[in-house]
Amino acid sequence: MSDLKRTQLYGVHVAAGATMVDFGGWEMPIKYPTDIVAEHLYTRHACSLFDVSHMGRILVEGPETVPFLQHVLSSNVMALDLNQAQYAIIPNENGGAVDDAYLYRFEEDRYLLVVNAANTDKDLEHLREQIKSYDAKMTVITGDWAAIAVQGPRAKDILQVLSGGQAVTEPVKNALNTLRFEGRTVRVAKTGYTGEPIGYEVYIESAEAAWLWNRLIELGAKPAGLGARDTCRLEACLPLYGHEMGTDPEGKEIPVFAVPLAKFAVSFSPQKGDFIGREALAKQYEVFRRIMNRDFSDLTDLPRRILPITLLDKGVMRAGMPVYKGDKRIGYVTSGTMVPYYRHEGEGLGTVILEETAKRSIGLAILDSDTLEDDQVQIDVRGRRLKAVIPPYHMRVDAPPFARPILYRPVEEDAAPASGDRKPKALDLIGRAVENHVWRQEKCVNLIPSEMTPSRAVRLLCASDPSFRYAEHKKVKSFYDADVFYYQGTEFIDEVERLLVEEMKAFMGCAEVETRCVSGQMSNTCVFSALMDWKNRLNRKQDPRRLGYIMNNHIIKGGHLSAQPMGALHDYIAIDPVTERHALVNFPVLKDNIYKIDVEETKKAIDRYRPEFIIFGKSMVLHREPVAAIREYVDEMGLETTIMYDMAHVLGLTGDHFQKPFQEGAEIVTGSTHKTFFGPQRGIVGVNYKKGELKYGLWETIESRAFPGSVSNHHLGTQLGLLMAAYEMNQFKDAYQAAVVSNAKSFARSLKAAGLDVAGDPAIDYTETHQVIVNVGYGTGPEVAMRLERNNIICNYQATPEEEGFTASGALRMGVNEMTRFGFGPAGFDRLAQIMADCILRGKEVREDVEALRAGYTEMRYCFGEDDVVSALNDLAKKSGI
Amino acid sequence: MNFPAELKYTKDHEWFKDLGNDTALVGITDFAQSELGDLVFINLPQVGDEVIADESFCDVESVKAVSDVMSPCTGVIEEVNTELEDEPQLLNEDPYGAWIARIRDISACGELMSADEYEAFVQK
Repeated sequence: MSDLKRTQLYGVHVAAGATMVDFGGWEMPIKYPTDIVAEHLYTRHACSLFDVSHMGRILVEGPETVPFLQHVLSSNVMALDLNQAQYAIIPNENGGAVDDAYLYRFEEDRYLLVVNAANTDKDLEHLREQIKSYDAKMTVITGDWAAIAVQGPRAKDILQVLSGGQAVTEPVKNALNTLRFEGRTVRVAKTGYTGEPIGYEVYIESAEAAWLWNRLIELGAKPAGLGARDTCRLEACLPLYGHEMGTDPEGKEIPVFAVPLAKFAVSFSPQKGDFIGREALAKQYEVFRRIMNRDFSDLTDLPRRILPITLLDKGVMRAGMPVYKGDKRIGYVTSGTMVPYYRHEGEGLGTVILEETAKRSIGLAILDSDTLEDDQVQIDVRGRRLKAVIPPYHMRVDAPPFARPILYRPVEEDAAPASGDRKPKALDLIGRAVENHVWRQEKCVNLIPSEMTPSRAVRLLCASDPSFRYAEHKKVKSFYDADVFYYQGTEFIDEVERLLVEEMKAFMGCAEVETRCVSGQMSNTCVFSALMDWKNRLNRKQDPRRLGYIMNNHIIKGGHLSAQPMGALHDYIAIDPVTERHALVNFPVLKDNIYKIDVEETKKAIDRYRPEFIIFGKSMVLHREPVAAIREYVDEMGLETTIMYDMAHVLGLTGDHFQKPFQEGAEIVTGSTHKTFFGPQRGIVGVNYKKGELKYGLWETIESRAFPGSVSNHHLGTQLGLLMAAYEMNQFKDAYQAAVVSNAKSFARSLKAAGLDVAGDPAIDYTETHQVIVNVGYGTGPEVAMRLERNNIICNYQATPEEEGFTASGALRMGVNEMTRFGFGPAGFDRLAQIMADCILRGKEVREDVEALRAGYTEMRYCFGEDDVVSALNDLAKKSGI
Repeated sequence: MNFPAELKYTKDHEWFKDLGNDTALVGITDFAQSELGDLVFINLPQVGDEVIADESFCDVESVKAVSDVMSPCTGVIEEVNTELEDEPQLLNEDPYGAWIARIRDISACGELMSADEYEAFVQK
């Protein structure tokens, strides 16, 4: 094997006893003595190292780098921000693939293109021909920098030891970072070829490669060879050049759009312009679109597609085996083998990964494009026709930190419709509701920061008559903006709504309030819809333009779901034609306090993106939002930006003890009435636009997007209850708000003293709101939260700004608001902190301690409890029969 | 590497254990399992199949490839080790305990080596 090239880590592999093979001209480890099955499994449950230094690494730089890359790659290079990577195809003129590649932007002006080892020479020849027309140059750095893939659920913990605790990258796929590992410079990418949700590729100078490899092994990673790399990528349905790209088993070129990843890797943006293969790819895309709509009438440009395939009979499928549907040969297996997995048991979040393993024969196949998911097919396994099926996928990674194998489940038949005598069911339902009420209200300590138990007065009013009624109303200009109601019998609720508006204006400190939205999310939808309508008011003859740029808090930095494109912004946010992504920019956060907006960096982002809309507010919130500073900056810049604060969580803290957004310059505030506020579950919109101002028209639009835009019946019972809650809040807010903030600080200190890892800035006692965040260990949040629930402490697990998503959560989010209302003070929270530390740190069962603690706090504070009020409520209960 | 003295061996790396009365157990050698790596599937013969010396009677699959197992003798399959269907890794863990088939009515054998000869053969 003397002609073969060797990577910087060749000696390490040989010393570890690896079986070395020729792979694309490189002498590479196919497996170590542990063997492929164990290496695959170790990747999935812990962390494996793969030497990927054989991959071709080409540095591209020069004034025309971007136009050159736009021309030779399928992807939109303009969409690639600094410290991001993207997957791309190097297409040929026919719409086939010269290779597939990953493009990294570690530096502002230099791009790193990583290609398949076996294709490097061919790729370079192709690229050198193309680069002649551009003022740009390529340098092959394959020998200068080694590359080690660190893949598996423990990868992040291991790398963070080397970084001294610093976050390795942002916790999102394709994020990049340059940092130091124990004094050595490394470039880290959150990328990989195993499908692992927690996977990195680390680039380091060749001389340090062996050091890094050995250090990673000391920290618990194990080496894995190309064999396990192949089974992992197959399980993840990732294409391999030469199998799913290039030519098929019949020798025909595989169209790029045959690979499912193509739809992410190919851009037809006008900004990208013409590029190699564009015309052929556009034709394939047209067919692809028709196929997705199940129109199989003309498949000429995309006759076959790569789909996952699972063997149902016993056996092993291999590349090249023909696939049949009935008597018709519909294609071939392109990759196939037997892949191991850990068995699991339980449902949903309670799913437990067992130590027991099993194997399944899975693969990828290139099949006629009219093949559908769940189709029953057969594979010719050396003369035997074995049963197989087309599954939707082999694995999912949307519950990190683990990649979860998905075993094929046949389509289930519908269960029989419910039937029988309903009376026993009715009785059972009532009994269980009593049980639940007593448990939640008397036995549990509730720390969910978005919840509040309303007073008896609020609850009774919510259930009394205006509930179940309609009271649609709209202002009519002909009657000098008088509200006209469409139904009779609404005099009382009309008055209630007017009183509620006045109370909320007084509380929020603004000019106008809309109270008909029945949730905080609806309030946001209503505002976003109104803003878009307002933007397009002068031209109704074309499709309305969406909003953009919008600045918000990123969801993983604590931003509200309802202020994200996946939430209430969904139908209102534009796509930036240059990046082909949502026209969204996130508030930068401080490096040393990721819970706080970095005002100076935010100003730079405002300069760059000139957002037309800024949304403050978070659901994981420890700090005041810098409304005044940003208002000042926006005004100084003369921008037409609308500033909104979604106060969902902190609405009830509006005032001297937290912040007053309207005084600071917010124009719109939305909120939920049932988190720190005392109400039933509804939403609210307040604005500070006054009659005669230009933007008063926006306010009127918001009203019309509430009704008829969002609600027809606006839950009149809870609107009545909310008026009582507003009376309570305006009467008691000073004492309540002071107690909430000081209790939160006190609780945080007690938790810290009890040995728990409290997030936030100790200098301000960790929090300025009702929330306290405790880190319990990466990925353990769900388990700890469930353990606390068994012990009658109700809180919610939360992904911190460094974590990938809710299943990887390592924190608990707690609010002191509800318990403060039940009279908890520093002593109560200190006792609670001790009990929680016993349960979290020492695994102690604490249910009885919790019940005893809760029993001392049963009377609701900050509401009207005088004798005459109680007697009036008794009268209401009696006469309403509640 | 283990080469039990009581067994005979083929050049294709099967072992043959003579049970007398024209019957024998057959399996794959320690060397074979080590070369193949993790075995993940076995396609066993059927009881009653006639097998011929030096011809394939079974196949085993590793993650990377499929390999034929050649019969050391001519005869009839009397019994197969069905345990291997669910646990083909037994061939890796205990190659001489994990027999594949018991063959009866043996009428002829291919070329068989002693343990010493086979050890020398694989070390070439």
